[in-house]
Amino acid sequence: MLINWFTVITQIINFLVLVYLLKRFLYGPIIKAMDKRQEKIDLHLEEARKKKEEADKEAELFLKKNREFDGRHEEMLSQIKKEAEARKAELIKEARSQVDADMAGWYGAIQKEKENFLQDIRRHAVKHTCAIARRAIKDLSNADLEDRITSIFIERLQNIDADDREALARTVQHPAEGIRVNSAFEIPGESAKKIVRLIQNLTTDSVVVRFGILPELICGIELKLHGRKISWNISDYLEPFEENMRATIEAKTGH
Amino acid sequence: MHITPDSIILFQLGPVSLNATILFTWCIMALITVVSWLVTRKLSSTTQMSRWQNFIEVLVIGIRDEIREISRQDSSRYLPFVGTLFLFIALSNLLSIIPGYKPPTGSLSTTTALAVCVFVAVPLYGIAQNGLSYFKQYTKPSILMLPFNIIGEVSRTIALAMRLFGNIMSGTIIAAILLSIAPLIFPIIMQALGLLIGLIQAYIFAILAMVYIAAGSRVRQNKKGDV
Repeated sequence: MLINWFTVITQIINFLVLVYLLKRFLYGPIIKAMDKRQEKIDLHLEEARKKKEEADKEAELFLKKNREFDGRHEEMLSQIKKEAEARKAELIKEARSQVDADMAGWYGAIQKEKENFLQDIRRHAVKHTCAIARRAIKDLSNADLEDRITSIFIERLQNIDADDREALARTVQHPAEGIRVNSAFEIPGESAKKIVRLIQNLTTDSVVVRFGILPELICGIELKLHGRKISWNISDYLEPFEENMRATIEAKTGH
Repeated sequence: MHITPDSIILFQLGPVSLNATILFTWCIMALITVVSWLVTRKLSSTTQMSRWQNFIEVLVIGIRDEIREISRQDSSRYLPFVGTLFLFIALSNLLSIIPGYKPPTGSLSTTTALAVCVFVAVPLYGIAQNGLSYFKQYTKPSILMLPFNIIGEVSRTIALAMRLFGNIMSGTIIAAILLSIAPLIFPIIMQALGLLIGLIQAYIFAILAMVYIAAGSRVRQNKKGDV
């Protein structure tokens, strides 16, 4: 007999026990773990779907903004161009005014320099002319330059015209600071007395004449009375020379 | 030579006898249970898992999908029964590669026991699904068909038992005979073929069991479809 009924019954029991054991230790836990994993995956997928939706919304918003920006692009560009042009014009204006100010400064400085230069030339010219004149007079007439200058001054004082004499007389009568005769050199006593006498002749009141030495006069002598001046100065002869020098410099520099 | 491992008696106490069939069945039960316990002891529900868990999951998912495909129903109800049938028979057959091992499925007592389990499970699942109206299917299409339906039910159970027993027993015996005739190479090929046949038989047994159970459970669904 191939069938052993005891074995059959035992195997049925064995099989049922095995079914229980596998349900307890295999199918149950495995299915549970798989379901749990599936839940997690579903959750992740749901999260991913939500995130994708959010991302889509963001992308849509971005595209919308982009389109709006594109729409406003031209307008903004032209506005920016206008602003840039205005700014450019403003900057150019500022630069020009700055340059003008600088140029004015430079021209002023050059002018000052020129004046100083001409002054120097004049001073030197006067000095040398004085020296030449002194020497020439000495050689020609064996006379002193200062004496000659004083003589000429006295001559001028004697030969002033009527209007000047009257004006001078008025001034001499009411001198504010006394009467002062300035010269670059010491006036000899005789000549000084002559000058005082000539001035005294202008008025009946007694006058006080003071003599002073001003080195900047170089070769000159002057009497100043409230805007009135009687003088002789070698620099007067040099004025055409100075004018000529100035014209030459201006022709060279173009100013 | 023993045709069936039932004849290898290891211990006898009156009508109670411990034969090789029962012993090896216990070994297989212990093996499956211990491996299952060891694997499912530390299960991971994340995507990172051990190789064994992966293997077991693939196995369980394969069985579950197969059941779902055949029954067109929720597989969780049938998984423990059909899955255990497949795993037990498959392991029982595959272990025949071990020298000295006698597959319990090579015993008609075992295959009969499994067939009886299926025979009982079919109406139980049917009743659980459809109630007592399950029995009405035996009278379809006419009451005259009742005896034939019952005979059909019994005969397919016997066929189930005999098919498995015949295949495994013959495989074992052929291997033994070939071993005595041509001890080199040829038995290895037959052994490999035997393993394949063993796996196919496990599949066939489990699938047929599922088909029978599904056929019994599907009655109400058909009725619903008619309505």
